[in-house]
Amino acid sequence: MSQKSTNNEGFSMEILKQYRGRSLAQETVRRLFKNRGAIVGMIFLIVLIVVAILSEFIFDYNTQIIGMNPLALYAAPSAEHPFGCDNMGRDILARICYGARYSLLIGIGSVAIGLCIGIILGSLAGFYGGVIDNLVMRANDILYAIPNIMIAVVVVSILGTSPASLLFSLCISAASSLTRITRAAVMQIRGQEFIESAYAMGLPTWKVILRHIIPNCLSPIIVQCTLAVGNNIISASSLSFLGVGIPVPLPEWGAMLSDGRAYIRSAPWMCIFPGLAIMITVLALNLMGDGLRDALDPKLKK
Amino acid sequence: MAEKQNKVLLEVDHLTKYFNTPRGPLHAVDGVSFTIEEGKTLGIVGESGCGKSTTGRTIIKLLEPTGGKILFEGQDITGYSRSRMRKLRTEMTMIFQDPFSSLDPRQSVMQLISEPIREHHLLHGKEAIARRTLELMDIVGLARRFVNSYPHELDGGRRQRIGIARALAVNPKLVVCDEPVSALDVSIQAQILNLLKQLQKDIGLTYIFITHDLSVVKYFSDDIAVMYLGQMVEKANSDELFARPLHPYTQALLSAIPIPVVGGDKKPRKLIRGEITSPVNLPDQCRFLKRCDECQKQCESAKNPELREMTPGHFVACHCVN
Amino acid sequence: MSDNILEIKDLVVHFETDDGVVHAINGLDISIPREKTLGLVGETGAGKTTTALSVLNLVPNPPGKIKSGSILLDGKDVLQMSDSELEAMRGNDVAMIFQDPMTALNPVMTIGDQIAESIELHQHISAKESFEKAKELLKMVGIAENRAYDYPHQFSGGMRQRAVIAIALACEPKLLLADEPTTALDVTIQAQVLTLMKDLIDRRHMSMLLITHDLGVVAETCDDVAVMYAGRIVEIGTADEVFNATRHPYTEGLFNSLPNLHERGEELIPIKGLMPDPMDLPQGCAFAPRCSYATEACTKAVPELRTMGGTHYVACSAYDNPSFCLRRNANG
Repeated sequence: MSQKSTNNEGFSMEILKQYRGRSLAQETVRRLFKNRGAIVGMIFLIVLIVVAILSEFIFDYNTQIIGMNPLALYAAPSAEHPFGCDNMGRDILARICYGARYSLLIGIGSVAIGLCIGIILGSLAGFYGGVIDNLVMRANDILYAIPNIMIAVVVVSILGTSPASLLFSLCISAASSLTRITRAAVMQIRGQEFIESAYAMGLPTWKVILRHIIPNCLSPIIVQCTLAVGNNIISASSLSFLGVGIPVPLPEWGAMLSDGRAYIRSAPWMCIFPGLAIMITVLALNLMGDGLRDALDPKLKK
Repeated sequence: MAEKQNKVLLEVDHLTKYFNTPRGPLHAVDGVSFTIEEGKTLGIVGESGCGKSTTGRTIIKLLEPTGGKILFEGQDITGYSRSRMRKLRTEMTMIFQDPFSSLDPRQSVMQLISEPIREHHLLHGKEAIARRTLELMDIVGLARRFVNSYPHELDGGRRQRIGIARALAVNPKLVVCDEPVSALDVSIQAQILNLLKQLQKDIGLTYIFITHDLSVVKYFSDDIAVMYLGQMVEKANSDELFARPLHPYTQALLSAIPIPVVGGDKKPRKLIRGEITSPVNLPDQCRFLKRCDECQKQCESAKNPELREMTPGHFVACHCVN
Repeated sequence: MSDNILEIKDLVVHFETDDGVVHAINGLDISIPREKTLGLVGETGAGKTTTALSVLNLVPNPPGKIKSGSILLDGKDVLQMSDSELEAMRGNDVAMIFQDPMTALNPVMTIGDQIAESIELHQHISAKESFEKAKELLKMVGIAENRAYDYPHQFSGGMRQRAVIAIALACEPKLLLADEPTTALDVTIQAQVLTLMKDLIDRRHMSMLLITHDLGVVAETCDDVAVMYAGRIVEIGTADEVFNATRHPYTEGLFNSLPNLHERGEELIPIKGLMPDPMDLPQGCAFAPRCSYATEACTKAVPELRTMGGTHYVACSAYDNPSFCLRRNANG
C-alpha cells in the first residue's frame, strides 16, 4: 500500500474508505423502501417471477396446462382447484401461474427492446435538435396518431401469430413513448451548466452524452419503463383476447379471458381470475413505478 | 506603471459573437478588444444582457466567435477546431456562476474533481489521482471528509469550492470566472474571494473576472472593462476607473451601488432612466443614447463611438468626453 | 392603542419534515412603528421569508407549524384570526412583494386586469372603475397607462417588479412586506425601484418590512434594522445605531465580509464556517461556533436581547463583561 506514497506520508487508498458515504443508488433504495406501495408492488412482482420460473417444475405442461381433463369440466373453485377449472377441465391456477411467464416475458422484453431504440433515438433528437430532431419526432407523431393496438394487429397479421411477433409489435409503442421521454430529459439536461463545464474541460461530445447526460436522464426513463411494462402486458392480453396474440392453447392471460367470455354466466371464475391476474400485476407495476419516481425524482431533497 | 511589463497571456482583438434569431442577428458581443498580462486580473462588468458571459465563453471557445481574433500565448486560436482546442483545455478553464447546476448531481466529489485529471491523463494510477484530488481539496479548503459526498449534500460555498478545484486540477494559466460569487451569501462570498485571491498569489493565475457587482470587481481586479450592449464603453485601471469614471453609463453604474454606510456625506444618486434595449438589429449609433443624460445633438447623428484613449491606459467610448 | 403597526412576540415556527424538525424561527421579537421601515437582514436560511409568511399566516402547513407566539397587526393577533378575517386582511391591510418578478405575475392575464382584480376584490367597486384605478397606479409606478393592456411577458424584469409594486399598493395597505424585492434586478434598475418604493411609502404613510441580505440596500432605505441569525434576532436598533455602533459579532462579521468600495486590496475578513443546520442547532448561542469572541459561557445559554441604550438591543452574552467591545469599535 505505502510503497508508492513516499512524498505523502501515511497516504493510502484506505483514507478514502473512512469517508465512505452512502452512494446514490443506496440512497434511492433506502427511499424506495420507505414507500409502502412500492414494497407491496415489488413483493408481488418477485413472487410472480418466482412462480413463473417454478411453474415449469411444479406443473406438468402436457397434462395440467394444455391437456384435457374431462372429470373437472367447469369445476367451481374448491380446495383441490382453488381458482376452479375451465371448459377443458384445466386448473385455472396452474394456467395463470404458467401464463405469468408469457405476460412478463412479453411485457419486459418488448420494453427492453423499445428502451434500446428509445434511448438512442431520443438522445440523438434531444441533443442535436434540428433536422434529426424533426425526423425522429415527426415519425413519432405519426405513430402516436395510430392506436397502439391497431399497429400491433397489423404487425401480427403480417408476421403471423407467435410470441416473437407479439413482442415485436409491442416494442414499437414502447420505443415511441421512451423516445419522447428521453428526448425531453436530454433537452433539459443539455442546457445545464455542468454540461458546459464538461466541454470546458475538454470532453468530447460522445463522452459528454454517455457520462453526463444519459445518467442524469435515467430517472424519468426508469419510471416510464415500469409503467410501459404494465401497459404492454395489457396490450398483449388484449391482442390475445382478440385472437391475434399468443396462439392457443398456450395459457396466456388475455387468451384465457377470451376463452372464458362464452361461459361468463355459468363459470364466471374463468374470467374473474385471469382478469384479476392482469389487474393486480399491472397495479403492482404502477405502484412500483410511482415509488421509483418518488425515490429517484425529488432532486435528492434532504 | 511602477510594475514591470509582464508577458501578455491573452490578446483579444475585435471579438464578435452574433446569434441568429428570427428577428435578426443578436449582437451579443460586438467588437471587444483587450489584452491581459500574465498573473493579472481583468474584471468585466455590466448588467444582465450586456454580453459579458458570452465574451467569457467565446474567449475559451465554448462558443465559436463570429469574427475577430483570440491570441493565447501568441498563437491564434480563433480557428481551432474542437479537437485541437482539447489540448488547450488544460491551459484555460472556467469557474461557473451557479454552484447548483454546474456540478453533475450524479458524481461524487472525488469523481468531480478527478475528472479533468483522468480526461487529460495528467496522472496515472488510482492512488496518484486520489492523492492529487485530496491535495486539491486541501488547496481550496474543502474538508477531506467530503470526498465521497455528492453535491446535493453540500451548501453553495462548498460546491463552489469543488468548482474551483475542478478548474485548478489541470494547472491552468487562465481562469475565466463567470460570476463565481453572485449566488453566495456575503460571509461565504468573502471566503471564496479570499481563496481566489490567495490562489492567484500562490500559483500566479490569470483571471478574467466577470461580474455585475462593482464592489467585488474593485476588490478583485487590476483592470476593469465596462460593457454595455455587447460593447466595451470604458476600460481603465481599477483605481482610475473608480476615481474618475468618464462614461455616463459607468458613472450611473457606480452611483447605483447601494453603499452600506449610514449618515456621513453621501453623494446624491444619479439615476438613469429606462432599461437596457434589445441587442437585436442595432442602429449604428451610440448604444447608450436613449438612456443617456449627457446625450447631445451630435450623438444622435454621429456613428457608434470608438474607444479612445483619454489618459494613458484609460479608454472610453463616448462622443461627449473630452 | 399601540404605536406599532406590527408587533411580533416570541414567535416560534418549525417545519416538521420526514427527516426531522427544522427550527426555522426560534423566539423572534420585532416591532415596526407606524410609518417606519424595518430592514430584516440575514443570510440564506436565517428565517427571513418565514417571518414574512407568518405575518400573513401563510406558512405552508404541513410541514410548517407556528408553534407559539403572537403577531399583533394593528393590535389584532393574526394567529387568532378566522379564515375570512385573514382573507380580508391579506392584500388589504398587508401586502407582500416577492423576490422573483418573473413568477409573481399570472402570465395569461393583462397587467391592468391583475391590478384591477385586487382592487375589485377588496374595495367592492365595479370592474371598469377598478381598471381605471389600475391605470392610475401604473402611472404612479412609472409605467405608461396604455401598457395596462399588455401581458407580463411583454414587460422587462424591472417593469414587472414595478407592476408587482402597483398590485401590492392597490388597496393602500398599512404594511408592506417586501421579500428581497430587488435581488433579481440589475443595479441601475434596483436603484430605480428602491427610489420608487421609498418615495411611495413616504407619500402614503405606510410601514414596510424590507427583507434583504444586502446591507447597502438597508442603508439606503431603512429607518430601523434587525439582524437575524438562525431564527433569532441578534441585533436590532435604528440604522444609525446598527451601522455606526455595531454591537453583535455577527453584524460585525457581515460588515467585514463586504468588499469596501473606497479602499481596495486589503484582505476581506470572512466569517469562518457556515450557517448551522436548522435541524441541528448548537446549544447556547447559535453563532458561538463561528464567533471569534466566543467563550465557554456562550455555548451554555441562549443570550437574551438586552438594551445597549435607547432602542438598540443586542443578544450577546459577551456584554456581561461591561468592558467588552468589538474590534470594529475599538479602533475608533
